[in-house]
Amino acid sequence: MIAVRETDLAGLLDRVRSGDSLAIARAITAIENATPLGADLRLAVRGASGLCQTLGVTGPPGAGKSSLVSALISILLEQYPRIGVLTVDPSSPVSGGAVLGDRVRMAAHSRDPNVFIRSLAARGHLGGVTRTTRGVIDILAAAGFDLVIVETVGTGQSEVAVAGITDVKLVVCPPGLGDDMQAIKAGVLEIADLLVVNKADLPDAGRTAGYLKAMLYHRGHDETRAVLLASATTGDGLKELAEAVDARFAALGAANPGEAHLIVTRDVLADDAADLIRAFIRHADIDRLCGTVGRGELTHREGAIAAVNLFVDSQGSKE
Amino acid sequence: MPDTSPQPRILLTKSFIDSHDRAIATIALALRDAAMEVVLIDYEQPEDVVNVALQEDVDVIGVSFMSGGQVETTQKIFAELQRREVAGLPVVVGGTIRPFDVPPLEAAGVKAIFRGGAPMADVVESFRSLSRAYRGLA
Ligand SMILES: Nc1nc2c(ncn2[C@@H]2O[C@H](COP(=O)(O)OP(=O)(O)OP(=O)(O)O)[C@@H](O)[C@H]2O)c(=O)[nH]1
Ligand SMILES: [Mg+2]
Repeated sequence: MIAVRETDLAGLLDRVRSGDSLAIARAITAIENATPLGADLRLAVRGASGLCQTLGVTGPPGAGKSSLVSALISILLEQYPRIGVLTVDPSSPVSGGAVLGDRVRMAAHSRDPNVFIRSLAARGHLGGVTRTTRGVIDILAAAGFDLVIVETVGTGQSEVAVAGITDVKLVVCPPGLGDDMQAIKAGVLEIADLLVVNKADLPDAGRTAGYLKAMLYHRGHDETRAVLLASATTGDGLKELAEAVDARFAALGAANPGEAHLIVTRDVLADDAADLIRAFIRHADIDRLCGTVGRGELTHREGAIAAVNLFVDSQGSKE
Repeated sequence: MPDTSPQPRILLTKSFIDSHDRAIATIALALRDAAMEVVLIDYEQPEDVVNVALQEDVDVIGVSFMSGGQVETTQKIFAELQRREVAGLPVVVGGTIRPFDVPPLEAAGVKAIFRGGAPMADVVESFRSLSRAYRGLA
């Protein structure tokens, strides 16, 4: 019987790397709660996500993201022997609690030792993922998962943060040309590598796909991006969707094998830099600067640049 | 060092055969409003419940019964908890619990039994204190 809460970093990491479910789960909790152990874990597995493929799935509420992910898992397990899934739901802004219901649609995988699903509450973080999602992907990669799928919060607005943390972005749309379409226009199209109109068993799916294609074309996007039709319910189009996802991964790998690693490292550096600035922003000099910005003597952008300069100066004086 | 401010994480589950989930939905919302994170699943096998509880790192498992299988399913869940080496994970049950179910459920190790009509404040408090105890925060 193991301790309820691990405190030993090396021991926990060994068990994570051996694929032990409970150790992986505990490591994720520590990272989510930003405990001292979680901070050590994050550093220890930093950048590991470069070792696995990552797929982001986003789209309006009820589009069928969870249902599609569940169906895709079954097909993708053939190429990716172990699959990790992170599903993000919003936290209540009032209580901070959350109801995490995505995996109800993934019941087919509740017992599969090769599928690890974890529900995450956004805890106030915007952009459709959580503050620590990247660290959690790193843990799953360190645990040897070949593919990690991230389902974002389905607010349909601007779940674009997933773009920064997954290799391939799949946008799921329901059939219809109404409000949902307006929401999809607002930024989500830009990040899509693949678009799929789900619920193709319902009327209007074909028309919606045509409309999306036209939208991509008119906005001067690379119109080679696919718009697929699928139905999680009937299974139609799922094989083609899985093949399209796989082809995107292959294209990424072939384009420049070194590049994926460069991108990950770049992101890690950007995160670290942001953390440094964020910690420094509580400094007294910054308060004075905020006064200047508040009085309109500097624009926000000028203020931000001044803050970075203050930070650089503070580093110089340390040496 | 213990987690000092973690949201309690709770698994609420029912058999996929039971289509009625009003009770679970009501409790899930009450727990959410008490700042807890609630994972929902419908299980096919009792083993599913434990596998999901492990992946989700929950502190309490709540199982709702609407038709049958109260005692048998609960016993299987406890056996699986033992096998997966998390025997200390607390389990509570609710829903249709008949008087003659109670002794075997208690013998199996359930920490609390909630019949229909149990005051929600008691239910919430029970989940909260079991979560804290499991995390060593009691
Ligand atoms: N007709 C039809 N219904 C579907 C299909 N896929 C999903 N649904 C239904 O659509 C509803 C929402 O499905 P989910 O998979 O939960 O959708 P989601 O996008 O994950 O939803 P959120 O996570 O809440 O944003 C459910 O009632 C599904 O049964 C499909 O291909 N056809
Ligand atoms: Mg979902």
